[in-house]
Amino acid sequence: MREIRALSPGKLGHGCNPHEIAMGLDFNPHFVAMDAGSTDIGAYYLGAGVPFFPPISIKADLAPVLHGTLKRNIPLIIGNAIATGNNRQLDTALSLLEEVARENGLRFKVAVVRSEQDKDYLKRRLREQPIQPLGAPKELTVEDIDCAATIVAQMGVEPLIRGLDTGAQVVLAGRACDDALFAAVPIREGFDQGLALHMGKIMECGSMSCIPGDLHGSLFAWLQRDHFILEPPLKTRRCSVHSIASHTLYERSNPYLQPGPGGINDLSTTRFEQVDERRVKIWGSKWIKDPVYKLKIEGVRFSGYRTICIGGIRDPILISRIDEELSAAEANTRERFRSCQGNYQMIFRQYGRNAVMGALEPEKEYVPIELGLLIEIIADTQELANAICMYARGTIQHAYYPGILATAGNLAYPFSPFTVPCGPMYQFHIDHLLPMEDPCACFPIEVLNLK
Amino acid sequence: MGNVSIRDICTVIRSKQAGPFRLTFDLLFKTKQLYEIVKMSGAISKRQIADLYRMPEEKITDFVFYDPGLALKISMVRPKVAGDPGDGDVYGCQQHAPLLGLKLSLPDVTGDMMK
Repeated sequence: MREIRALSPGKLGHGCNPHEIAMGLDFNPHFVAMDAGSTDIGAYYLGAGVPFFPPISIKADLAPVLHGTLKRNIPLIIGNAIATGNNRQLDTALSLLEEVARENGLRFKVAVVRSEQDKDYLKRRLREQPIQPLGAPKELTVEDIDCAATIVAQMGVEPLIRGLDTGAQVVLAGRACDDALFAAVPIREGFDQGLALHMGKIMECGSMSCIPGDLHGSLFAWLQRDHFILEPPLKTRRCSVHSIASHTLYERSNPYLQPGPGGINDLSTTRFEQVDERRVKIWGSKWIKDPVYKLKIEGVRFSGYRTICIGGIRDPILISRIDEELSAAEANTRERFRSCQGNYQMIFRQYGRNAVMGALEPEKEYVPIELGLLIEIIADTQELANAICMYARGTIQHAYYPGILATAGNLAYPFSPFTVPCGPMYQFHIDHLLPMEDPCACFPIEVLNLK
Repeated sequence: MGNVSIRDICTVIRSKQAGPFRLTFDLLFKTKQLYEIVKMSGAISKRQIADLYRMPEEKITDFVFYDPGLALKISMVRPKVAGDPGDGDVYGCQQHAPLLGLKLSLPDVTGDMMK
């Protein structure tokens, strides 16, 4: 093959523009790939296993790409389905695919590439050798594995290529590097890995790297042996050297180095050139293979149930002594629940006054005219979180502070119910590198016929 | 006190998480000329960013000028992991605000350059 053509309709579930998808399909791509998640959305989705986007939004995006790819007999690759790629999300994704197939009279073969990791397997690996941290503060421990709610490994191109090898029209993958979703087909055809991955890194966000950037728009790529060219299908959008180069920076800690499973993409020699008003040519990105192939594993642990209450404060007398009153309310609440069974945390966030930046805030003494108070309780059970949140709320609501004139209540509630149970909460604690001899060993594949 | 507001020489000033354990900041300059002046002048330093964010300098993991993007990339260890109890910004996309107040000493920059 002389070139590979790729279409990115944007992120699955965001609400991809069907008009742009149709225009992109007219460019005759060899494949379509969609990223369906990320861990940016927080630990909850990895732990709870629910999709980030509502099923109705995911199905709406699936229908036009499935029709288009099946009609052209080209593969559709979906990764990070459908949030963080754990088994529950992958099973939900599969049932949504099945519903779309049934509702539209479509028949196709799907290769499901799983990424959730077995705890016994990881403990066995840990006995063989230490597992080093990537972002986490220390080496992996048996306790880290035991207390994890969910652990996934982030696949590179190899398991995706194996999925394509089954002849499936749809490859539905769990946790995956977003760039690998776009690089798998080209690398399988022998195209340059550094270029294919760099192309993928820009493509995964659809037209976010264009002018104007749009979460809902498509982006198209022509990959040749020694360069690739990007063009948004929509004529009123364009790529510029600056928009593409700056997207290369996005969400990453170093612009020159993009580490991934099995190596690092060196972008220090990358060149960008404006081909015409709407197209940009890129070349020079180089893949440097690691001596040892390593996979990133990510895990979260359950850390309690959360209940919240939001109340506004406009009284300047109360605002002038808010820290004292919140401390008093906390002490009162802690005394009340002193003998309760179970642990809890109590967090007061003062929106309008350092709720957003915390320790990083340079302007800590600012006094606003109104405050949004968020009371947050994290406890061992939802019942306990509910009870503590309700008690703390009542204590603040009727706090009788020095100089008080407004004795009817201290909190303006935006709605009833005043307290809202938020369910389980999770925290990231595993972000480590697992050395692998076989890049596919952690990612079992099953092939199913859907209709 | 500097003579040039960072807002007048950048097209983008943003923050975002780079994985749950890191925060990353991008400053994209308006023109190659402005980018080169800032890069050569040393008017923005790692030390200054560390002070601005009340961070020990060793927590700043990257401080890199990126020529193809006319950009300065700064990354740091997050004081709280994304979404941990007490963290206030899961995406980390509102941590850039203090950068908007930066004034740089750039005697070579004229009003015309910033248009």
